[in-house]
Amino acid sequence: MIEAVLRADGGRITAALAARFRDLDLAEDALAEACARAVSAWTDAPPANPAGWLYRVATRVALDSLRRNAVRQATALPDPEPEPTVEDLMTAAPLIPDERLRLIFVCCHPAIHPEARAALTLRLVCGLSAQEIARAFLIAEPALLQRLTRAKRKIADAGVPFEVPSPDHWGERLDAVLSTLEVAYAHAHADGAGTGRHAGYAEEMLGITAALAAMLPTEAEVQALAATVRFAEARRPARIDGGGMMVPLADQDPMLWNAPLIADGRRYLAGVLTRPLRTRGIQALIHAEWCARASLADPAPWPAILTLYEALLARRDDPVTRLNRAVVLAEVHGPAVALEEVDALSHAGLAGYLPYHALRADLLARLGLAEAACQAYDAALALAPADAERRWLDRGRSKCMD
Amino acid sequence: MHYMILIYEDESVYGDKNDTPEMQAIVAKHWDLVSDLGDQYKTGAGLAMTSAATTVRTVDGKQTIHDGPFAETREQLGGYYVIEADHLDDAIAIARRVPVRFDGSIEVRPLLHPPGK
Repeated sequence: MIEAVLRADGGRITAALAARFRDLDLAEDALAEACARAVSAWTDAPPANPAGWLYRVATRVALDSLRRNAVRQATALPDPEPEPTVEDLMTAAPLIPDERLRLIFVCCHPAIHPEARAALTLRLVCGLSAQEIARAFLIAEPALLQRLTRAKRKIADAGVPFEVPSPDHWGERLDAVLSTLEVAYAHAHADGAGTGRHAGYAEEMLGITAALAAMLPTEAEVQALAATVRFAEARRPARIDGGGMMVPLADQDPMLWNAPLIADGRRYLAGVLTRPLRTRGIQALIHAEWCARASLADPAPWPAILTLYEALLARRDDPVTRLNRAVVLAEVHGPAVALEEVDALSHAGLAGYLPYHALRADLLARLGLAEAACQAYDAALALAPADAERRWLDRGRSKCMD
Repeated sequence: MHYMILIYEDESVYGDKNDTPEMQAIVAKHWDLVSDLGDQYKTGAGLAMTSAATTVRTVDGKQTIHDGPFAETREQLGGYYVIEADHLDDAIAIARRVPVRFDGSIEVRPLLHPPGK
């Protein structure tokens, strides 16, 4: 019961507490204490408005804690909160102010280390446990906790404001928020099977992008990200075959895709198309193009996708975009053209980038260069791919051994 | 809150003396900022070239005196402001306005206590 309430409203409660007390630790601790009290208080009958109950109790806990500190330091006392009656606690529905937007901007402040931003957002705004985040980010829980602690201390010590930034810095700051959510979603998306521990996590990404899109209805890039996350999640049921092997996008059966989620994505896309296109808008359009495919009998939309990648490249020319475009080039103009493009890329990071080796392996194999393809497969497999991807690479490698 | 704003630039872009025309030009820009900041400006100073720096180093309880700044870096600390700001964003907005001749880094750090306490 408490867990379900936290899933649904934990972020909202934490955000409201943090905005009121301007102290992330205090907000988190107070909510934890309120949950502990709920365990015994809710045994007979849970309150009519459990989230409101938690918010109310956590507010009192926070005030009590501030008062104790104030007495210890003999400073000014915060105003006491009127003692609620039992009836208040069970029936009243205090409106929890929605401060999540402010909290997102705090968690994604450019003064916070980029790696900590996503973790902090998932912890505080989405209410995921440290354990869940540590698993998704493939790091040990103590390391994650340390990262979170450091980030929270920076926020407190450096005086990061609990405010939505002023319009003149809006662009840069919103971009940091969207990049953070992209990093967070990439972790959820990387797990193709999407079973167990990641299932709820992907749900959270749908929730937070929806919340952000509702709060910023005129920001095209925000609408675009909400659309992209939906299109990508919609394809999850088709990403793994019966044998646990990854299925490339063009081979996925569109009948397995989640149609309501795709429709949802299209609604967000409508908010993108009325404004000038930027990079996230184009990415959403690429996803939409794929999701428009009704069955495997329809031709894959490669030429349209190539046009979109050209547009993306004109706005953002980086090795990852070029690599993704090369996948499309191979289908439209053949593997030789694509390989030439891939081999012209030079970036130190590519050596450790699995999709780079996987694409080279595939292109080399299609050109009949079996030996070079095997080497590329080995390079990809050495980078510890996820299970479904490993199976796919293993199969490709054994094919070119024949 | 009070913040110190530390200015790091390659000092050689100002020539090899403290009163070159380049230095005078940047100092004039700093004074413009100081007057713009009004009450938010608490204190500040430009520093002489690192060739004038001397470092007292303590290792294992023993002190030694060295010529030069504490570390040889590509950009050197060349001056600082202490400002009062509502929060980090306010301080960053001021840091963005600190003039540099070419490239440079402006570090923003909160003071533990307001000056004078």
